[in-house]
Amino acid sequence: MYTIPDLTGRRKKDETQGVVPASPPCPLVARRVADLLRELGPQLRLGGAPAEALVHCPTGIPELDRLLGGGFPRGRLTEIAGPGSCGRTSLALALLAEATQAGEVVAVADGADAFDPNSAQAAGVVLERVLWMRARRPREALRGAERLLAARGFAVVLLDLSAPGPRVAAASWLRLAQVVATTSTALVVLSLARAAGSAAEIALELAPLRPCFTGTPALLEGLETEIALVRRRTGPSARAISVRLRGRPAA
Amino acid sequence: MSPQAREAGAQRGAAERSTGSREARIACCLVPDLPLAAQLRAEPELAGLPLALASGPGPRAEIIGVSPEASRRGVRRGSSIPHARAVCSELRLRVLSPALEQTARAALLDAALGCAPRAVLVPRASGAYASEAAVLLDASGVAALFRSEAGFGAALAARAGALGLPGCIAVASSRSVAHLAARRLAASATQPGEVCVLPPGSESAWLAPLPIDLLDPGDALAETLTRLGVRTLRDLLRLPRSALGARLGAPVLRLIALARGEEPELPLPVPEPSHLSEAIDLEFALEQLEALAFVLQGLLSRLLARLEARRLACGEIGLALSLAGGGRDARRIGLAAPTLDLRVLVRLLCASLEAQPPAAAVVAVALETEGRPLSLDQLDLFRPAGPAPAALGRTLAELAALCGGERIGAPQVADDHRPDAFAQVPFRAPGRGLPARAQPANSERSTDAEPGLAVRALRPPVAAEVHTQHGRPEWIRSPVASGRVVQLAGPWRTTGGWWAREQRFAYDYFDVQTSDGSVARLRFDHLTQRWQIDGLYD
Repeated sequence: MYTIPDLTGRRKKDETQGVVPASPPCPLVARRVADLLRELGPQLRLGGAPAEALVHCPTGIPELDRLLGGGFPRGRLTEIAGPGSCGRTSLALALLAEATQAGEVVAVADGADAFDPNSAQAAGVVLERVLWMRARRPREALRGAERLLAARGFAVVLLDLSAPGPRVAAASWLRLAQVVATTSTALVVLSLARAAGSAAEIALELAPLRPCFTGTPALLEGLETEIALVRRRTGPSARAISVRLRGRPAA
Repeated sequence: MSPQAREAGAQRGAAERSTGSREARIACCLVPDLPLAAQLRAEPELAGLPLALASGPGPRAEIIGVSPEASRRGVRRGSSIPHARAVCSELRLRVLSPALEQTARAALLDAALGCAPRAVLVPRASGAYASEAAVLLDASGVAALFRSEAGFGAALAARAGALGLPGCIAVASSRSVAHLAARRLAASATQPGEVCVLPPGSESAWLAPLPIDLLDPGDALAETLTRLGVRTLRDLLRLPRSALGARLGAPVLRLIALARGEEPELPLPVPEPSHLSEAIDLEFALEQLEALAFVLQGLLSRLLARLEARRLACGEIGLALSLAGGGRDARRIGLAAPTLDLRVLVRLLCASLEAQPPAAAVVAVALETEGRPLSLDQLDLFRPAGPAPAALGRTLAELAALCGGERIGAPQVADDHRPDAFAQVPFRAPGRGLPARAQPANSERSTDAEPGLAVRALRPPVAAEVHTQHGRPEWIRSPVASGRVVQLAGPWRTTGGWWAREQRFAYDYFDVQTSDGSVARLRFDHLTQRWQIDGLYD
């Protein structure tokens, strides 16, 4: 994020102190600033104090961390959406592995009862540092995630709403976003399709490219998936990377 | 330690020896009318109202306990219920509850244990003092903590008062003298919470003018002593001990020992493990869960106050319901972590009752728990601070109330050869057992930052309709993956549990990609001859 001084003569109300008159706008400078804003888009903000830097939870996947500017932001809601076998669970486990190996405590509000301890351990998650809530319904998982956020101190709260069920109301997403904004927790939501809307700081959409069956006899060597950054509240979006997920996990 | 400090310590020790402050000191906290106090503890809204306790529910029962407000309106012990109602129209009448009295007695011990490490309840007295309850506690050296023994007594009175048990406090050099002093104070005090401290060596002079009735000699012995002209302890001690013993037997010798403060005393015991219970006998049978929740809330609030007085938290709760018709409903409600959160505990109990309602109306409720120490958090310079233990305990209890205690915990890889096996163990406050940076056991994660492919478990496994060719799947139809099998790996045969019929399993596992894009873990169960999908690669 870059900030340029306000050269166009416009002033915010809170910046006007005393009786200092606003300088008249310089047409040349104003036009140049407008051009810059148009070219660089959301990387530039006009005037004001720089936005507070977000702290991130890295995933350990260099391409993804670069795409997200360091990892999943703390104090924000991030959504990972995609159909089955797109790799969203693998990304979430990579995030949990990085956090738990750094000594953090994480929580999983499992609305689909799909968390697999074998896979998690194979991915590098320190299971002793995971609080796993096996909700019977997605709504329970949603309420459980709110309570986990209220406890404070969890580095990551993973809310798995990938099970088909009733649509979560928009007000619930906004409430979750408000709660997580008061914490230093990265709230990551897994879903089949984007649902959090504007409540999400970042939204990723995953699409499976191809599974890799190699060798004779064949073996599932991995899965290639495309990760598209479809929403970022502050910063560029509409970018995509391709990630290869290594298989076959412990069976 | 510096020589000056050592010298100062030696001088302080010599001064304590010279003043006798190292002598055993015993405090007694006495509640003069325990049944009444227990009723007011259960129903604090009755404080200040004319209240009487009846010996039973029937019309022939008699009044056995009277509050000062009822006494001022003319209600007397021993009178009948109709007479009491006629004397005082606004009289609140309650039936004596042994359960309430028992738990109030235990609460008195908890108040004492909140102030001193050793305490013991005085056995029930008889005669005129049958309704009193007293606890004796070790008060040696308390002046250093509370500035004075009077300050300690005031703190003890405040703690007992917080538990709804207003009492009088006496501090003396022996159990019997402390008990007698508290009894005397209760008889003369205008309000509860007064403190009497008898300095060492002054007990004999203080005891001498007290009436002989304070020793609770029993009706026959009291009458005999009165005929002999013995009215005070001084009168008793003037008489020859051997002659009195020869004429009146062992009871009078015990009275003399009490009057002299010479009764042999054992050291105060270390308290038993912190098993706490609260109970109430209901006057009306309750059928609605909502009404029962109010009763549970009252019981729990009293239980938590006792636990808090002992600096403990609530562990697993045992709930026992006596049902109309003689039935009984007993259940245990586990907690993920000890907590003192009343709201959470009420929700847990109500969730248990909603899930499994009692078979009949409830006529009595009892709660019990083992007090657990509240977790203290030692922060680490090199480790990220996780959730605070108190907040974590509350959260775990809330989550348990939300979806059941057995579904909350830390995941664990099960010691089992089934690929879908898993275990869940209680989640502990993190940190102490693990280094700041940890590498999990059996991690297959490579160093090239290529993430592993995870499996989403399907619990229970989804049945699949599979068409095979030469034993290999060709087409699959299921709710999670359907279509032509595009690619396939396997089979991997897994068998085990052959030693027990219910544990046997024999599966052939396949990794299959179907034409709808799903990559599934398909298995053929040789025991049931069925195809299932137990996981999706994701």
